Amino acid sequence: MTDVGTDQPEPIRVMVVDDHPMWRDAVERDLQAAGFDVVAVAADGDQALARFPAARPQVVVLDLQIPGPNGVEVTKSVLQTDPGARVLILSASGEQDDVLEAVKAGATGYLVKSASGAELLDAVRRVARGDSVFTPGLAGLVLGEFRRLSEPAGDTSITGNPELTERETEVLKMVAKGMSYKQIAERLVLSHRTVQNHVQNTLRKLQMHNRVELTRYAIERGLDSDDED
Amino acid sequence: MSRYGSSGVRAAVAVEDRLFRALAVLRVITLLNAIVINVYKRDDLVHPWGGVAILAGMSVWTGFVTWAYTDAVRRSIPMLLADAGVALAALLLTPLVKGADFDATVPGFWVMAALLAWAVRFRQWGGLGAAVVIVGADLWLRAEITQTNIGNAYLLLIGGPIVGFLCGSLQEMAVERDAAQQSAAAAAERARLARVVHDGVLQVLALVQRRGTELGGDAAQLGQLAGEQEKRLRTLIRSQDALRDQVESGVVDLADALARLRDRTGVDVAVPGGSVDLPAATATEVVAVVEACLDNVGRHVGEGAPAWVLLESFADRVEVSVRDDGPGIPEGRLAEASAQGRLGVLESIQGRIRDLGGTAELTTGSFGTEWEFSVPR
Repeated sequence: MTDVGTDQPEPIRVMVVDDHPMWRDAVERDLQAAGFDVVAVAADGDQALARFPAARPQVVVLDLQIPGPNGVEVTKSVLQTDPGARVLILSASGEQDDVLEAVKAGATGYLVKSASGAELLDAVRRVARGDSVFTPGLAGLVLGEFRRLSEPAGDTSITGNPELTERETEVLKMVAKGMSYKQIAERLVLSHRTVQNHVQNTLRKLQMHNRVELTRYAIERGLDSDDED
Repeated sequence: MSRYGSSGVRAAVAVEDRLFRALAVLRVITLLNAIVINVYKRDDLVHPWGGVAILAGMSVWTGFVTWAYTDAVRRSIPMLLADAGVALAALLLTPLVKGADFDATVPGFWVMAALLAWAVRFRQWGGLGAAVVIVGADLWLRAEITQTNIGNAYLLLIGGPIVGFLCGSLQEMAVERDAAQQSAAAAAERARLARVVHDGVLQVLALVQRRGTELGGDAAQLGQLAGEQEKRLRTLIRSQDALRDQVESGVVDLADALARLRDRTGVDVAVPGGSVDLPAATATEVVAVVEACLDNVGRHVGEGAPAWVLLESFADRVEVSVRDDGPGIPEGRLAEASAQGRLGVLESIQGRIRDLGGTAELTTGSFGTEWEFSVPR
């Protein structure tokens, strides 16, 4: 993104979903002050889904604990409507399992609410650009999920379980240990961009696996009902 | 039964209901047994029609009393007295239809049903009382008492009180279980309500922290305080959940226990989703070792210096790493410490992990210090 005066890029369109009015206003104000275009706000899942199609935001800043369809469901529906949109999860109480579910459903960023305003703005920019925003906590969750999927105790007939390359595991583990992309790049003698790509690949594989699982489930259900007819 | 309280009464009555249903089955089986035996040995009957009349009476009473006992309200003292009375009558009429030197009574084992009804309703003393009366009548009727008669009498005298005692124990257990279930449900509801309240409080604290930091000055201090309280509250919520689980199972969720270390300033903890259950002693020791590492970070890098804890779970082991961004441990300090005969913190950390059957590895350099532990599950 260059800031050549005449070629001003379009501001990033953002939607803020949070049931807490003070929070919603604060985030909205911060985003507007930083030059983002807040195209919609919503206080619950129903509102979010109703307003999303018309507002067409590039980034949805989403609180996980909202009434109505919860954050995980909103993530799913929003990305079904517009696969090009990005979801950044903001969570106050750090409900770990919900965060993991939202990420599996396609969210590409996660931030705790106690993060600073600057961190939030940076996260929105990065998510809009297509990068993944990881906290060490999220990396630990994703890493744990891949470990779980690779356990031999699981159903051995399922061959489609995703696997991380050795490098991806190494990078993800370093993120989980709190190292910045820059530190990882130095330690592994890689470019910053390569580290970024490795991290993003891990998310992509997890989300892909989730979709495959859902499809498999749907097909099994579908075939069953065909048999009955 | 008033000592149980209203829900306790419900549980006790439910046990009684079930036992009376079982008793109904027993009564029908013993009735059929009596009919078959009397028909088979019809030659023993001096007055066959008298025998038929007694058996008919027993059948009618079986039907009536089975219906009567289905409702707890009808399991009254008069009803139980009538039940015992009918059983006694069937016994006492035996000499009239079989002659004085009969071998088996007409009702036979059927009298047991009335005896057990007393045991279920009035526990061991009811069982004993009914057994004494019925056995007494049976023995009193007989011209000659055989070894078998004594054996049967003996079994009834023991069986009545035992069934009564078991019924009482079952009722007490049912009442206790009922109370435990209720308190568990109440605790779960309290926890749910607390979660709703806590979520709101967490949101406000996070907001104050963020706004305060941005405003600077006194507000920044307020923000910092809010941040500390937010952490503390989050830790409290997690530890309450953990405590409940631990009480139930005797194992500790290591993920949860480590996540609580987020309470310490500068410490970030990454854990897998779900729980990582380990025996309580192992988990506690791992947490203690990690805390020792973090203390070390505070001592050598600086109070509140950033540190990261990562937990990974495998089928056969857990791996924990503790990392800091400090200047690293100067070369030779480890050797120096042990040369002076001091058991350094580092050695103690290694020893504690070894005691758990695991391995500890230390990497240190200009990039910082990192411990990696592997502990078998």
